[in-house]
Amino acid sequence: MSKIIAVHSYKGGTGKTSMSVNLAATFAKNGKKVCLFDLDFRAPSLFAILKVQKAENYFNDYLNDNCEINKAMLDLSSRIPGNGKFYVCPANPSTEAIRDMSSKDRKWEMRALGRILALRETLIHEQKFDYLVFDTSPGLQYSSINAIVAADFVVVATTGDRSDVDGTKRMLAELYNLFEKKTGLVLNKVLDPSATSKKTEMQNKIKADYQVPLLGMVPCFCEVLRAEGNFIFAQDKPDHPFSKIVSEMANKIETNEVEY
Amino acid sequence: MIRNGLSNKKPMNILEKIEQSLERLNNKMEVMIEIQKNNSGNSTKVAPMLPDASLDVMTLLSMPDHLRKTAMIICRAGRATAEEAASQTTRARAVESAYLNQLVIMGYLKKERKGRKAYFYIDRESKS
Repeated sequence: MSKIIAVHSYKGGTGKTSMSVNLAATFAKNGKKVCLFDLDFRAPSLFAILKVQKAENYFNDYLNDNCEINKAMLDLSSRIPGNGKFYVCPANPSTEAIRDMSSKDRKWEMRALGRILALRETLIHEQKFDYLVFDTSPGLQYSSINAIVAADFVVVATTGDRSDVDGTKRMLAELYNLFEKKTGLVLNKVLDPSATSKKTEMQNKIKADYQVPLLGMVPCFCEVLRAEGNFIFAQDKPDHPFSKIVSEMANKIETNEVEY
Repeated sequence: MIRNGLSNKKPMNILEKIEQSLERLNNKMEVMIEIQKNNSGNSTKVAPMLPDASLDVMTLLSMPDHLRKTAMIICRAGRATAEEAASQTTRARAVESAYLNQLVIMGYLKKERKGRKAYFYIDRESKS
């Protein structure tokens, strides 16, 4: 069963952060104990999206060996209905921290991988978390590949854009395959996927094109764009089609029903 | 003289010894075949033989597949014997042992002996 999920993409703007926030919120809404991590150290965004007022420590501090992981996690469970637990571990959004994270050497990255791998023991085995969700930065960056190596399942967000398609295919063949990762593709910002026949046709085409199972297709919802990242759909608009699609994806991951 | 020495022993003992020797030879041949198989392809890159090379993800990505598989096991487990690694890769213990030792020579792993067992691990704490 997949416990650690990394959300990744080749290009930016494919909906990774939106997907990871809503996926984590959905797991929590389903009564699970979840922690969402920001591994996009070059452009941290969870801090702003989840409207975190103040954090004593960030994920950066844990990776720098300056604090234990729990000191960098914030409990936002009160924002989610039900008995689930929703924690977030934001990345430090200050320019200084971004600069610091961009200038790390290979030795540091190796130790960081060790600290990320250790989360399985600390959070999943000892503290009984059900899911850890890693929001990553696009492309082949150290932090993203570290997250992929540590993950059980990689959600790959992509759009139909030509600039994205080729790169995503290359990444599937030359990154996820090399690390033998289970992968599910999310086709985002799809125009007119309404007709059922068209949906099946698209699903088959994606399987043939990318050689990985399709986790879900997300239509281009104007409401999501209009929301301007001001609220979490899974939490604030549970009946919206977007929330329902994310819920279906969460279900597939939870029940291990991603078809291969 | 040799013939005289052998004739004094029980034939069963001799056969057992021959069998053990053949088994050892077989293991060595298996390792040689496996290494030759992987070296004949063009995927193999000459890795730096540094005393303290870092096993980061970019290094893992640039490794030949057969070594990455072994290195990933140590990455996840932190520390393992050749036998433990072989149980996960389903390759022969002798083959795993050869790859692990190759990674030690390349400077990516460290090796430590405890009794009869040899443990392979990543030295993440070294700050050099």
